[in-house]
Amino acid sequence: MIIDTFTHHMAAHCESGTLTALLKHNGLEISEPMIFGIGSGLYFGYLSHTPSLNFPMFIIRTKPGQLRKKIAKRTDIQFKTQKFRNKDKAEQTLDQLIAQKIPVAVQVDFYYMDYIPQWERVHANIHFITVVGKEGDEYIVSDSYYPQLARLHKDKLRKARFAGGYMAPKGFMYYIESIPERIDYKNLIPKAIKNTIHNMIGIQPGFIGVRGIRLFSKKVQQWPKLTRDIDHLSHEIMKINVFLEDQGTGGGGFRYLYATFLRLASELFSDKDLNDMSKKMMEIGDGWRNISYFAAKIGKNRDLGPEKLNELGNMIMQRADEEDKFYKELKEVIRKY
Amino acid sequence: MKEKDAYIDYEPQQLVLYVEKEDGSYGPIQTGSYISKNYLDDFWEKMVKLRVSLLEQLKKNEITPVYYYKMIHDFNDLELSRRTGISLFKVKRHQKVNKFKSIKLSDLQRYAYAFDVPVANLLQIIAFDEKEKLPDTEDDSSSQSMVKQTKTDNPFVVITKFEVNQK
Repeated sequence: MIIDTFTHHMAAHCESGTLTALLKHNGLEISEPMIFGIGSGLYFGYLSHTPSLNFPMFIIRTKPGQLRKKIAKRTDIQFKTQKFRNKDKAEQTLDQLIAQKIPVAVQVDFYYMDYIPQWERVHANIHFITVVGKEGDEYIVSDSYYPQLARLHKDKLRKARFAGGYMAPKGFMYYIESIPERIDYKNLIPKAIKNTIHNMIGIQPGFIGVRGIRLFSKKVQQWPKLTRDIDHLSHEIMKINVFLEDQGTGGGGFRYLYATFLRLASELFSDKDLNDMSKKMMEIGDGWRNISYFAAKIGKNRDLGPEKLNELGNMIMQRADEEDKFYKELKEVIRKY
Repeated sequence: MKEKDAYIDYEPQQLVLYVEKEDGSYGPIQTGSYISKNYLDDFWEKMVKLRVSLLEQLKKNEITPVYYYKMIHDFNDLELSRRTGISLFKVKRHQKVNKFKSIKLSDLQRYAYAFDVPVANLLQIIAFDEKEKLPDTEDDSSSQSMVKQTKTDNPFVVITKFEVNQK
């Protein structure tokens, strides 16, 4: 059985893509950038000592789940969420909902999504897919990172929903219960933008926001001390490209997605200043894209001496300066609302 | 980013990018992955090198299978402990060559589950003709030979079949 009224689309990011698809299925016309923007998804954090991770990493969006929680709080959209201890019960509940033609979003370990090319699949318990049907032992799933609806064996989905470890999904799933008749975008967009500004330049720990970008620019130059050999260093440096471009960001580390949100907001408010800010954010995204290309190139060439890493660090520091200036300006633009 | 600069012709890995379109509007396009198109060979080269090096150490009894798979899956000890439900103390112990021999079968089963391989693969390296295979992978479809492993109702027994690709 497949929920044939569900329309599959690829999306930039799995969480915002899943949310957008479910909302559209339930009759709300909304775009992914709007979801990302009103959920204040844009972020930066440099995590140097996360116990479950082998190597420092940077994050460029808010914690998984936050987007949905903020959307729910700001728009009054009601989500039914559930976690499970019992794997059988989790599967039965999912099956019952599918039988009622309710598409359900589930949190999974990305590694088990075997329709995705092998080189892309890593263990990350923060992936979201929408289950839209079941035929025999296979679920029909809509994954934002895959061009068509895909099939996933029930054993794989079970493993993926109950993979242990960092941010273990614990069978987490959600679906939409209700959508309010009217959403006051003009009221909530300024709030969401202010929240993002606070995340980036407000009072935050030193590894978050623009200060986090500055920390990253310094720490990346010390990565050779943390790696086994040149291949390992090359792998970690090239992952900068993957994190910024490939791992569901819409390019430029979510900055293009956010620029599109600002453009939509400027049209809603007929605000030229916001439109200018969207252009500036697009340019900031271009800067991040240049960093990702540069990282891939020096990684591939194993050209990872202090000079090149210093150059990479300087490029990242330049992003920090640009973003610092940007959010201060955006703060002034949004103050009138 | 301008739309014309964003297109990458790479069908195996598609993604969505947000771009500035010809008419000045911003919106999504579907395109290929830049890094996979240009640098996938380098990625495989590094992975194979790591696997071969670990496999050599495994054969010489310098590392244990738990360590081998931990490295392949890029887990650290804490993550492995959380994923298997085996205490951190024991996870560290199971990576010591002289302690591995006292590992419980039930612990091996937990590791195999987390590493997504049959229990049997923790204690064997599958070889086909001259070519030594890695325990958790199958040959790609372009290869002459294939190793297929099928689960049975017995959690400790797996059927390993060697097949010749007819293509």
